[in-house]
Amino acid sequence: MSAFLGNPMVTTAALPLVLGIALALLSRFVVPASSPVLTLLWAAPLLFFYWDTLGPPVVPPVAASQKLIYLAFAGIIIGLLPARVLGSRTSNLLAVATLVAAFLWLGWRRMASGSLDLPMIATVVVGLLTIIGAARLISTQAAPSPSAEEPFLAPAAVLALSLSGAIVSVLGASIVTGQLLGSLAALTGGWCLVQYVATLHGRAAGGWSKGVEFLLLYAAATVLIQVALLAPKANPAALILSSLPPTVAVLMRGRLQGLLPGMRPLRPPIAGLLIAIPAMLAMLAAIVWAPHGAALGFS
Amino acid sequence: MTTKKLIGALAFAAASMLGSAAWADNYEIDGQHAWVTFTVKHGIYGIAHGQFDAVKGTIALDKADVSKSSVKAELDVGSVHTAFDQRDSDLKGPDFFNAAEFPTISFESTKVEKVDDKTGKVTGNLTISGVAKEVTLDVKLLNEAPAPWDATLTKAAFSATGKISTADFPMAKAADGFGLGPDVDIVIDLEAIKK
Repeated sequence: MSAFLGNPMVTTAALPLVLGIALALLSRFVVPASSPVLTLLWAAPLLFFYWDTLGPPVVPPVAASQKLIYLAFAGIIIGLLPARVLGSRTSNLLAVATLVAAFLWLGWRRMASGSLDLPMIATVVVGLLTIIGAARLISTQAAPSPSAEEPFLAPAAVLALSLSGAIVSVLGASIVTGQLLGSLAALTGGWCLVQYVATLHGRAAGGWSKGVEFLLLYAAATVLIQVALLAPKANPAALILSSLPPTVAVLMRGRLQGLLPGMRPLRPPIAGLLIAIPAMLAMLAAIVWAPHGAALGFS
Repeated sequence: MTTKKLIGALAFAAASMLGSAAWADNYEIDGQHAWVTFTVKHGIYGIAHGQFDAVKGTIALDKADVSKSSVKAELDVGSVHTAFDQRDSDLKGPDFFNAAEFPTISFESTKVEKVDDKTGKVTGNLTISGVAKEVTLDVKLLNEAPAPWDATLTKAAFSATGKISTADFPMAKAADGFGLGPDVDIVIDLEAIKK
């Protein structure tokens, strides 16, 4: 059993996928999607993956990788705030403030070195795009009668950002954060799978609560920022492209319904593909310009 | 207090403060002749080797009272190499030495003990990725002599060995994630120029 769980493909892909499916089923049949209990249920596997990849919390955290789990805790606490707070216009400010704080906390040593080279400029761009995209997505109010693709927009953004971030991270010599982002992608993918099957059966897909949305966007955004700050060989163009899916998800809102009114079951995967375009380009760029070839894993 | 006594007291204080430095020979590590190497178990297979090329630091060696000696050294993380570029990149990344955040590894002695005329134990704080751990190195003075080509240049050669654990530093996944270590054997050979 321990050998099974020790296999990185199990903990990075299979286990989070199964847990994502389980969480989606719970939200459909057992726990209301808006319940803080569901936010806590999302938080549990999230913390497990942080713990599994980065190790237990260290007091006080010194390296940026040791700070990530504390940022995850912060995301959970904010994700548990009442829906009226997270659903209000102030959630934009809250998201920006917490992401800027995370960027500064993770990157102050790197920034203190004072070198404004190409990787540092790319890091700042990644930080800005991630913060703006995530904050706008979090602060977007749900439509009174959401379209078929709307519940998938935020999850598709998290999935695309995490998956491309994982590839960029591993090819950029930061394997552990790659594993963590891979786990986030698989967890979200499991959830999307169940909700899309429901859509295919003519039922409405359940959306994430604002709490879950904050929790997962904040986690994916902070880990991507960490990759941009510290992965020594991460491709700058690929990092910038990886940070774009949340912004594309914001731009997608309400557009497909008018363009493809009669294609309800196809709109979620089309929306997902459009949101994933920058992520796919990011993976392509990371693989084509991989400094040591597209060899994944420690050598 | 008379002026004479005051001068006497000041002179005694100054002599006391300068005491250890006055009798110690000071050396600067010769970066061109310094080999800081490490070996670590590689998974279920063999032993991996690595080296830091950029080394600098100072040694104060008090031959009359070795306990008053001291060592300060710094390694440039960016200079680590293991004879394979991709692995070197991985080692400089945040999973291991984290060069972007912590570009140097430092060692500062806190205690030097004499074992015999040529050997001793140097205990100090080794700081990797911002975390300091106490490490003891077994040190041997191999030789000290003027250079055959330049009598004004005196060099001393030291050899040191020690052991650390990756689990003590922010690279806890090195052993159970990547199958490296956790024990790391350190072998240092260096020459130092007498100042």
